[in-house]
Amino acid sequence: MVKEATEKAVPNPFVPYPATLKSVVDLTPDVKLFTLELDRAQDEFDYKPGQFAFVSAYGVGESPFGVTSVAYRREGLQFAVRRVGTVTNALHQLEPGAKTGVRGPFGNFFPLDDYKNKNIIIIGGGIGFAPLRPVITTILDNRDDYANVLILNGARSPSDLCFASEFDDWVKSPRTKLELTVDAGDENWNGRVALIPDVITELQPSPKDAITIICGPPIMIKFTLSRLKQLGFADEQIVTTLEGKMKCGLGKCFRCNVGEKYVCRDGPVFTFEQISNFIEQF
Amino acid sequence: MTKIIGKNELESWLSGIMKERTVFAPTRVDDLILFRPVRSANEIVFDYENTNLSPKELFFPRTETLFTAVPKDGDIELTPTIVDQEVILFGIRPCDARGIAILDGPFLDEPADSLWAQHREKTTMIGLSCTKPAPQCFCTSMGSAPNDASNVDIMLTQVEDGYAVETITEKGEKLLQGVELRESDVQPPVPTCDVNIPAEGIVEAITKMFDDPYWSRLADRCIHCNVCAYVCPTCYCFDIRDRTDKGKTERIRTWESCQSKGFTRIAGGYDPRADKGTRLRQRFCHKLLYFPQQFGALGCVGCGRCVIACPVNIDIREIISDVQKIGAEVGQGSN
Repeated sequence: MVKEATEKAVPNPFVPYPATLKSVVDLTPDVKLFTLELDRAQDEFDYKPGQFAFVSAYGVGESPFGVTSVAYRREGLQFAVRRVGTVTNALHQLEPGAKTGVRGPFGNFFPLDDYKNKNIIIIGGGIGFAPLRPVITTILDNRDDYANVLILNGARSPSDLCFASEFDDWVKSPRTKLELTVDAGDENWNGRVALIPDVITELQPSPKDAITIICGPPIMIKFTLSRLKQLGFADEQIVTTLEGKMKCGLGKCFRCNVGEKYVCRDGPVFTFEQISNFIEQF
Repeated sequence: MTKIIGKNELESWLSGIMKERTVFAPTRVDDLILFRPVRSANEIVFDYENTNLSPKELFFPRTETLFTAVPKDGDIELTPTIVDQEVILFGIRPCDARGIAILDGPFLDEPADSLWAQHREKTTMIGLSCTKPAPQCFCTSMGSAPNDASNVDIMLTQVEDGYAVETITEKGEKLLQGVELRESDVQPPVPTCDVNIPAEGIVEAITKMFDDPYWSRLADRCIHCNVCAYVCPTCYCFDIRDRTDKGKTERIRTWESCQSKGFTRIAGGYDPRADKGTRLRQRFCHKLLYFPQQFGALGCVGCGRCVIACPVNIDIREIISDVQKIGAEVGQGSN
């Protein structure tokens, strides 16, 4: 518990909400899905698809992750974490019941209400698919509000495809298509072996009444963007989340800026129209 | 009428304060003048151009524990840091006081940084006007002045028989309670700093020449030693890490610099500012473009410390002039 004396003064924005790890599920060989529950009823954590939070591995540090769950389902706070550095390695060691902490939610979100009645194209590569999962959940839970949905999920190999256990549910939804692709197949893979930008060119999605949401490694975003533009998509029809090194999430540490914009506060969700107007181009 | 405190009275007033509260003042440490806690007035150096480091670290320490995390009964007890030490900061120069006021921008922006806010609340600043600017000084070009009293609680200006006293804030008034000040018709001297760095219009100029190869040329000689950020009164980038000893974890904040390799490297290895040119541009664009866009003021106070400290003579005064010149050329070219 936080000392009472500080609750009267300016609250310390670096102290996480105490949380308990409820479950850990392997999504891929190096990605785990963590479900957390906040320990105190008074801690408010209302979030929307696209927002992120810091998760603590006490003794090692904390790192920011897109929230993978949706708030309205009240199934706990979920994060898909790829083991890639010291904090994520420590998080991967945790077992259900472990005590952790969450700071957030931070940043803006995908304005899904503005996309109603549009054709939605969702393109995710690797762990970049994590912040897109709550977008898919929200759209499919409110299926009548949206026109056709095309989901393109790509990964290095078949076993690296995130959220494979949910694919069947997604395609059961009306007017919803799921396309999978991998950089390299294996003996059990009968599907597509292609890079995401090439799949865009193959599928030729129409820009008419469409919004495209992309998330993935910078190199994938770069080439996917140019293929979409060849197909006639305008910058304002393409939305992404930017990634930035960040330590605070509060617009203070000045690690995540792109020009005068903070990824943590002004983003992470930006349209390419916004990004192309940034003074600093990454 | 000017209110005057004699040198002896000033020393005995400060000595009185030292009995109850921590007083930080300029002291001699080897060859340097640095702010240190003092226990007696004779430790204080009154005659100095400026301290080698600004007192920024009293508000934003080089290393500060944000909170501690200790396992307890199957739970983890989190205890945020509470700043309870009241500090009197004596001898801060107007440029450095402006630096503190400038950093209120990011740190007190909602949600406020509670540690900065507490340090600010617990500290009373007694400023000391500059009598003579140092060769590297250019505070007047950055919106301040050698006798600028606007960012301290009490301002002192040396006169022949002591110090002219201006009470600026309630906090200052409280500290001065019971101190006898002489009335005098002596007018305190108005020191000047007549170096003129062309900072006006720098936001427009740097915007125009943002993509100029100037930055990578200039950065060729940068050895990313980070000393510029270390001595700067307005650099505030930071890192956060955990440190654990005997089961007790401290989440600590430390100073960082945008010139560090890997400052912006993200998980997976991609670094949007992998080269020195974009990193150097980040430093100067933060001070001369982003900070004014976000908070109004330029992120430089003209103390000149980085000019002295840089081992390869990267000089913000020259950069401002160059940026104006290149910006004007680029502007003409595009019209």
